[in-house]
Formats: sequence, structure tokens, C-alpha cells
Amino acid sequence: MTVALPVRRGGGERAVAPWASLGRWLRLREIQLVLAMAVVVAVSTALHPDFLTPGNISFMLADSAVTAILATGQTLVVLAKGIDLSVAPILGIAAVEVGFPAQSHNLNLAVAFVLVMGIGTVLGVGNGLLVSLARIPPIIATLSVYGGVQFLLANGQEVVNIPNVYDTLGNADVVSGVPWVLVIAGGIAVLVALFLRQTNLGRSIYAVGNNAAAAHRAGIAVRRVLFTTYVLSGLLAGIAGLIYLCHTGSADSTTGTDTNVELTSIAATLIGGTTLTGGRGGVIGSVLGAVFLSVALTAMVFARIPAIWEPAGVGGLILLAMVTDRHSGTLSTRARRHAGEAAR
Amino acid sequence: MSAVAPRLSPSTASRAAERADTRRSDRTWVVALVVLLAAELLYFSTTVSGFFGHGSGLLALTEQYLDVGAIALGEAVVILAGEIDLSAGTMSSLSGIFMAVLWQQQHVEIWLAVVLALALSALIGAFNGLVITIFKVDSLLVTLATQFILGAVATALSGSSPPYGFPSSFVAVAGTGTVGPIPNQLLVFAALSILVVLVVGRTRIGRALVLIGYNRDAARWSGIRIERTVVGAFVFSALMAGISGILVSGLYNAARDDIGNSLLLPAIIVVVLGGVDIFGGRGRISGVIVATFVLGFLTQGRLVAGDSSLSATMVTGIVLIVFLVLKLRLDQRAGLDIRALARRRLARMPGPQRDPGA
Repeated sequence: MTVALPVRRGGGERAVAPWASLGRWLRLREIQLVLAMAVVVAVSTALHPDFLTPGNISFMLADSAVTAILATGQTLVVLAKGIDLSVAPILGIAAVEVGFPAQSHNLNLAVAFVLVMGIGTVLGVGNGLLVSLARIPPIIATLSVYGGVQFLLANGQEVVNIPNVYDTLGNADVVSGVPWVLVIAGGIAVLVALFLRQTNLGRSIYAVGNNAAAAHRAGIAVRRVLFTTYVLSGLLAGIAGLIYLCHTGSADSTTGTDTNVELTSIAATLIGGTTLTGGRGGVIGSVLGAVFLSVALTAMVFARIPAIWEPAGVGGLILLAMVTDRHSGTLSTRARRHAGEAAR
Repeated sequence: MSAVAPRLSPSTASRAAERADTRRSDRTWVVALVVLLAAELLYFSTTVSGFFGHGSGLLALTEQYLDVGAIALGEAVVILAGEIDLSAGTMSSLSGIFMAVLWQQQHVEIWLAVVLALALSALIGAFNGLVITIFKVDSLLVTLATQFILGAVATALSGSSPPYGFPSSFVAVAGTGTVGPIPNQLLVFAALSILVVLVVGRTRIGRALVLIGYNRDAARWSGIRIERTVVGAFVFSALMAGISGILVSGLYNAARDDIGNSLLLPAIIVVVLGGVDIFGGRGRISGVIVATFVLGFLTQGRLVAGDSSLSATMVTGIVLIVFLVLKLRLDQRAGLDIRALARRRLARMPGPQRDPGA
């Protein structure tokens, strides 16, 4: 890929002074997020010692898992300069379609995994076709159809009771403080990060997001790449639906859409340093963004700020991420940006 | 900027011809919408009992969705300029709640409260616009953030028991009142519509707005004050959202903190169905106005027929997607000039992506 060349050149010239190298590290969005998290945790722990108990850590991490998985898929779409608003109903449809057989027939968990992945893929294919083949702007193509599908499928029923295996997966810890769901979310993120860095298709997503016309002239099948991002986003939203079901133990006709999970996933993606203009960012940032959101919102609860201000916290963090954005990059794109600035 | 890429350096003459083509196809689109509206009214009037109601039933139904129409007018202006305003929904809630709380808890005279709520809306719109233009960030992001914040503020303001039971003078004017058989809300919407049609179609500001959305660089080189115009568009959008919030509060004789949340998506759908390019620079306000009625009567018709609101939304979404595909086809055939057609085809090849803002 052409992207590899300027990476080395840009990095080499600037690594002269040690403080310059430190400054560059501080400009990484991933590092900023970890530092910001450390500050929030330190302040909260100083004020409320209960904050840093294994139970609370596990709670915060488990709470961020669904957002992290959704944000991983959302990142793929946003990197290619699209947007996927349908992750909320896809999550809901997956949760409902697996929840009912799990409740009534004790559906095997492995089968459930296969099922949600299938559902997510099919719905993602629908989005992908609308965007890549029918050329509908993504914000419109993913806007409104699936919510009604979920409503019809749920048919006014509710999932209230899930088998113990599901509950264990959703709420138990691997070791104290590290919940199973986070291991799953982390595993998915690592896989997708490798996919983005190491495969042709993954690099093509960056190329398409940067400049679709140039990518086309470089021989990349632009529409196929776009299609793939929506399919993968749908697939991951399906998995997120199962995790949601396991974690909360309930699902109904408005699950996902009523809590605006699509907007939260976009928020985590943006806070993680991926930009809506495409071609910049990465999934590790998005996962950190999801965890940071959860930690910050829990800190608000500990600070006795009423829960109704939670959305305002999310909004404030988006604004903050945006205003600091001009001075930061992410692991995968930082060197390229330096090269770009040098060329200008 | 890739927004420029599909339109690289066509000669001025052929570019003008292309403009004329798109204008012709935009006009065809509005005519198509009118035909669709007529067909829809005919269908529901004959199949759903209680829909037509000797004409007055039809008019009364408009009250149910003109709040969406008001937001759509503001949203159309923002989208024409190549931006988007996701905060319009919660802005509408906040405006209604703010007015109601001023009236109930601070005992402000109701009409003064209305004016103050609209002033607050304009202020928040200015905040949106200034953050977008000063920090040069995507409007989708900024308004996503303000959407969250405004929603929380509205919920906090409304408290556990949201205000209701406004003075009858207010409800009669802004809510359920009528002039003859025509609902007041329809009159308000008509006045706003005429205003927007005239400003966008007939004034310098309107032309500047569309040019900014069409090609921001060209607009800058033409000496258009882009920042000022964009901030103005956001102020206008927030103002329209504010008006819609007051209209809803009047209609239900109560203010609720979540009432605007469900208005944003239909409003965006109306704008796009009306033929406005979601990436800006192209579209007619008359299309948006007709689309308001097309979508409104479609949803209300399904509801009167006994469908749930979510499945009505799904039908709406499918209608929208089918019509967008039709519109893309129409656009491709509109050019009689073969060379322009070929160039557009070539320009389209890399894929559908264009810069959504910036």
C-alpha cells in the first residue's frame, strides 16, 4: 500500500529531540484517553474510596462492552466516510430474535451466537446494498426501516427471563474485576484492529475514506469496500445484541432505539479519535472511548450528579473531544498526518 | 476536499447546462410529489373511513404533523448549506419546556415566555453555528453533542411533573384554534413556508446559502461571507425548532421533555423526500413543503387505519428509499446533453461518497 512509505520518513525526522517525541506521544488520542481516565479514576477514588473496588471496576467495564462492540463496527463504517444509524435496531432485532427462543426453549448459547451473527450479517447486507449499489446516502439508507422490523418481530412481547448460561456470560467475571463481556469486546476489537492494519481490505477502507476517487483510480473496488464495512458493522451489532441480552436480561420492541445506542456508539467512535471525514482513526481508540464514557458517567453518579444529566455528560465529552481534535492523531494515522503536514 | 472531486473543471458553459438540467429535474420532482400526494389522498379517502371527514377531517389531521414541517423548513435551510442540525428535535422539547416553566414557576406572562423561549432557541442556534465555524468541525458532531446536552437540560427543567394547562388564550391561538375550517397551525406553517420560499429563492442570502452548499470554495472566492451565513442558517433552524416546540405544547396543552425526540428523523426524511440533496447545494423549498404533506398524510392515514406508529415509520422509510432510487434514475436521464451525461456517469463511478460537511 502507498500509505506505508511516508510513515517511516515522517517518523524518522521528528524523533530527534526527546521532548518532541514525548509531545508526539501526548498527541495520540489513545494516550490522551488513558491519561484522562487515570485522572477521572484518581479524583473519584480520592473522594469516594468505593470507586476503585473490583466490583465497581467490573461494573464499569461490563457496562461499556456493548457500546465498545457497536463502536468497533461503527468505526469501520466511519473510516470509509459513512455512518450507520441502524446499529440500534439491529442490536434490538438480534436481542429479541435470540431472546424469545432462549426464554422458551433454552436455546444453546453457541447456536445463539451463530444466529445473531447471521441476523446481523443479513441486515448489514441490506444496508450495504442500499449504500453501495443503490447509492442512497448512508445517513438516509440506515435511518428508518429496521426499527419497524424490530417492532413487528417483537409483536408487543418482552423477554424478561434468560437461561443461567446467558446471565453468567453477561455478568460474571473471568478474574475479579475483568468481566467476560469485556474479554469478548476486547477480542473482537483486537481482531478488527489486525484486520484494519494487516489486510489489503482493511487498508482499502482507510484509502476509500481518505479519497474515494483516488482509491478508485488506484484500482480499489470502492463499492465493494463500502459494502463490506456495512456488513461487518451489522455483524458486530448482532453480536452486541446478544451481549446486551446477556448483560441486561431483557429485550423488547424498542430495545436499542429507546436508549439511542447508535448515537452512543458514534460518540464513543468520535471520542476515540476517528473522524467523520473518513480515513483517520482506529478501533482501539473507539473501545477506549467506550470505556472512558462508562468510567466518566459512573464518576458522575459517584459525584451525586442526578442521572438525568448523563446525556449532557456524553454531549460535553463529544464537544471536548472535538475541540482537542486538531492537536491529536491516533496510533494508526499519526505518522501519516505528520507526513501530510510536512508536505503542505 | 473530495467534495470538489466529482465536479472537476467542467467548462463554464457545459456547467451552466448541467445546472439547467438539474433545475429541470428538480421541478419534475416537485410535480411528481404533488401527483403522489393527490394519489395518496384519493387512496386513503376511499379506503379509510374517517380520513377525509368532509374535508374538515383532512384539515384537522394536518395539526398532527405540522410540528415536523416547521422543523423540516429549518433543517432544509441548514442542509442546503451543506450542514446538518441533529439538535433540532431536543431544541423543540427544550423550547416548549422553557416556555412552560417560565410561565408556571416564574409567573411570566405566557406570550412573553414564548418570546423568551424563541430567544433562547436563537441563542443555542448561534452557539451551534459559532462552534462549527470557529473550530471548523463537522456540524453532525457539534449538533450531536448539543442534542445530548439540550435533552438533559429539558429533562432537568421539566422536573418530575411537567407543566400543563396553559391559559385558554394561548391554546386557542397556538394550539387547537381554527380560522373557519382552517387550523391556526396550518396558517402558521403557511406563513413560515412563504417566508422560507421567498428568502431562499429570491434573496441574496438564499443564493449564497445554496452556493455554499454547492461549492464552498467557489462561494468563498465569490466573496460570500460563509461563516456569517452558516451561523445564520443554524440560528434559523433552531428558531424553527423553537416554534415547533411551542406549537406542540399548544396542541397538547402540555409541555413534555421528550416530545421533540421523535420529530427530528421525520423532519430529515421530509427534507430528503422533498428533493434536497443531503450533502447540500441543491433542492427546492417547495419540494420540502409538498413532502411535508405527503409524509404527514401517509403517516396519519396509516395511523387512522389502525397501524402502530413504528410500522408506519417503516412504511415511510421504504417509500423514501424507493423514491430516492427513482430520483437518482431521473437525475441520470435529465441531461439531454450526451457529453454532460457521460461526464456525470464518469464522475459517479468512484462511488456515492461525498464530503458530508466541512
